[in-house]
Amino acid sequence: MTDMQASQAAHEEHFAHPNYWVVWAALAALTLVELGVAFLPWPRAVVVLILVVMAVWKAVLVALYFMHLRFEANRMRIFALAPLPLAVIIVIAVMTEFIW
Amino acid sequence: MTSVAAAADHAHHGETHELSFVRKYVFSTDHKVIGIQFLLMSLVFLFVGGLLAMLIRWQLGFPNEPIPGGAALPETMAPGGILLPEFYNSLVTMHGTFMIFFAIMPLLVGVFGNYLIPLKIGAPDMAFPRLNMWSFWVAVPAGILMLSGFFVEGGHAAAGWTSYAPLSAVSEYTGVSAGQKIWLLSIAILGLSSILGATNYITTVVQLRAPGMTWFRLPLSIWALFITAILVLLAIPILSGAAIMLFFDQTLGTHFFDPAGGGQPLLWQHLFWYFGHPEVYILILPAMGMVSDIIANGSRKPVFGYHSMVFAIIAIAFLGWIVWGHHMFQSGMNPRLGTGFMISTLLIAVPSAIKTFNWMGTMWLGSLRFHVPMLHAISFVAMFVIGGLSGMFMASTPVDIYIHDTYFIVAHIHYVLFGGSLFAIFGAVTYWYPKMFGRLMNPFWGKVHWLLTFVFFNCTFFPMHTLGVYGHMRRIYDPTQYEFLQPLMGINRFITISAFLLFASQIIFVVNFVMGWFRGARAGENPWEDNGLEWTVPSPPPHGNFATVPTVHHGPYEYSAPGVVEDYLPQNRPLPDGAGRDAR
Amino acid sequence: MTHAAAMRAPAGREMGAGVYNEKLGIWVFLGSEVMFFTALIGSYIILRFANPGAFAHPGKVLNIPITAINTFLLICSSVTMVKAFAAANMGDMGKMKLYLVATTLIGASFVGVQVYEYLHLIHAGFLPSGIREGSELAELAVAGELGLGSADPAVAGVYGSSFYTMTGFHGFHVTCGVVCMAYVTIKAFRGKYTQADHRGIEVVGLYWHFVDLVWIILFTIVYLV
Repeated sequence: MTDMQASQAAHEEHFAHPNYWVVWAALAALTLVELGVAFLPWPRAVVVLILVVMAVWKAVLVALYFMHLRFEANRMRIFALAPLPLAVIIVIAVMTEFIW
Repeated sequence: MTSVAAAADHAHHGETHELSFVRKYVFSTDHKVIGIQFLLMSLVFLFVGGLLAMLIRWQLGFPNEPIPGGAALPETMAPGGILLPEFYNSLVTMHGTFMIFFAIMPLLVGVFGNYLIPLKIGAPDMAFPRLNMWSFWVAVPAGILMLSGFFVEGGHAAAGWTSYAPLSAVSEYTGVSAGQKIWLLSIAILGLSSILGATNYITTVVQLRAPGMTWFRLPLSIWALFITAILVLLAIPILSGAAIMLFFDQTLGTHFFDPAGGGQPLLWQHLFWYFGHPEVYILILPAMGMVSDIIANGSRKPVFGYHSMVFAIIAIAFLGWIVWGHHMFQSGMNPRLGTGFMISTLLIAVPSAIKTFNWMGTMWLGSLRFHVPMLHAISFVAMFVIGGLSGMFMASTPVDIYIHDTYFIVAHIHYVLFGGSLFAIFGAVTYWYPKMFGRLMNPFWGKVHWLLTFVFFNCTFFPMHTLGVYGHMRRIYDPTQYEFLQPLMGINRFITISAFLLFASQIIFVVNFVMGWFRGARAGENPWEDNGLEWTVPSPPPHGNFATVPTVHHGPYEYSAPGVVEDYLPQNRPLPDGAGRDAR
Repeated sequence: MTHAAAMRAPAGREMGAGVYNEKLGIWVFLGSEVMFFTALIGSYIILRFANPGAFAHPGKVLNIPITAINTFLLICSSVTMVKAFAAANMGDMGKMKLYLVATTLIGASFVGVQVYEYLHLIHAGFLPSGIREGSELAELAVAGELGLGSADPAVAGVYGSSFYTMTGFHGFHVTCGVVCMAYVTIKAFRGKYTQADHRGIEVVGLYWHFVDLVWIILFTIVYLV
């Protein structure tokens, strides 16, 4: 950890800091709503869809604000996003064994 | 000038502390030492894999006859020197396992990834040198563990290197219990080593390129290693996850792949091949990259179509994720899914074909130098074409239904992995040996080794196409039990004898490799008159590689450049007109 | 340039990802972790589609209230983590240390609650191999109380298998995170981080948020669906 590396780290990271407590409140609220939705008497598929959307929403909030992807350069974001299509492909493809 | 001297001094300040032997050669964090460590380890496992193949071939060439000297083998493996069928199953399993995971992968990715990346991009070492050291020292116990499986009760894993469930999950089916668990644990541990390595390689190539080393001035070997590292990073964890689930099926009584408990055997196949197909591109892309470098050097010409070569590598990597089902056409999977896989598999032939034509275009009207690495590189192209062409037959589902699990597949595998990857490895080892050890391997014996290997390789594996089309299945202990296979035993015997001669020919390579350390002609900085940055530093390079950080002015293939006296121009020397340019 | 300086992305013409090496490294590594959890979680999703009757209705086997609180705790630890990083960024080393301690403690509590839950479930008869014969849960299964596809408790084999594997490996990752967090906290109290250089905090933080992110997905699709 030399001075050069340290100053380079400082130079790069003049950070934008959002209000983390607001994000926390959003996450808490979403969790509570999920707990409510899970036991609604609606058709199962609808409930599941809403729950999954909310879970993904929470995950995106964590990624964007806590992991700072909202403020990173595109070059950096690519590394975070790259695995996601691969995750989707395997699940969808194998699901077709059972539902197509 | 004084700042340069100070820089040089600073760069070597690690040496002035005089590290102990253990810190310098055993637990080294120097990428060059780690690369050589991987080389020595992998060559040992290449030998082990070859030995297992010899046993397999003995059984197929001379079924149920005692192996000469086979009485030395334990009763559990070969009583009276005659292989047991159960042991034969573990032989075919472990031959594939050792060759793929402990020989070819570490040779291509562990050796050349480690050795070449920092040198060829102009960096002093990897981004995370200590992580690199861990990468090697995690691989070693994985290898030792894998070897130990031969000596446990029940013998080694015997469900194929693909370890399909439920055969692999239920020990009653194979009689193997501990061996299969060892296999899974070893693979999981090796996976960790690979993932750490991939993280290092990717970060290094992105972050540590020397000034002027833009993406389109990178040598193709580095492009290939970089893309391969991404494949390793994303594919290996799938195998790790699947292996863990299979391990739990065996040890904790889980039911992931067990129909009785609600599990799905096909899930294993999908997960395995979702890893497995990117894996085969991991096993070929670095070879393709290094072959490009060697062919350009041996032709004294730039690589034909550099940009299309890069895009072809990327296309192969991309498409490689959506073709995995072509390993499963016979599995009973959803036929609609199968159709999709057939189309994507036929497509992936295109970028490979582009690369093949570009290699030929590179050589066309070149001032050809048939040095040993060039001979291997040209053989790579020719043998890979054969392997690729047989792949076209498999891509077509109706044809594959017939040839799946026959020796046609075995022929394909070995044309791409031996005819392809291993020839490239022989060429690459010969090519970078002088840089690693400061001496050259003997060129005459190198050519003898190449010729014998080439001839015996084709004699061994080409006839397997015929066997396969005749219906000779894979992994079979005694073909003579089927009347329709009995006429093929002559071919099997021919293959076996060729295989023995092929194995014996490798002694020449080993002797040449070892003798080179002691008797090889001393190599200067740049014995091949190559343009890469590694050839601008001493052989072997000092710790820290470059006394001063190089500046890159142009691409790596400025051979026979107009206005330059020599027919090569290293990347850190400017072009005569002073212009900088990308690789052409 | 010094050896050390050459180990970072060259200045001038901007090459590299625009961040320091360790930050790119952890993101790259997290890519592999995404694929690892894809294998485990993806398999669960697939098995659920293949065999819906193997899985109990929400809340019948697993304890939603306790786990919901645990989820909330983990989210809180993510906030304290990023606040620690922000504090270091602003130069408030005191606050940074406080938030690091909070993160470590909350993280450890999460693991503790999970272990407690596991013991509870095992006692009730929920195992990686499914529902134990003769257990409390087996009786409920036979009585049709769990919402399984059949009255035979053996049908729930994959339920236990996928539950314990997914949450178990997540818990393992959290545990590793807590250990790293403790290490970073100790380093912080030794004064090793400055406003100029607190890379370790950000790197551990990114790992920590990832582990939280995975749990957010897991809680919903394992407990609530």
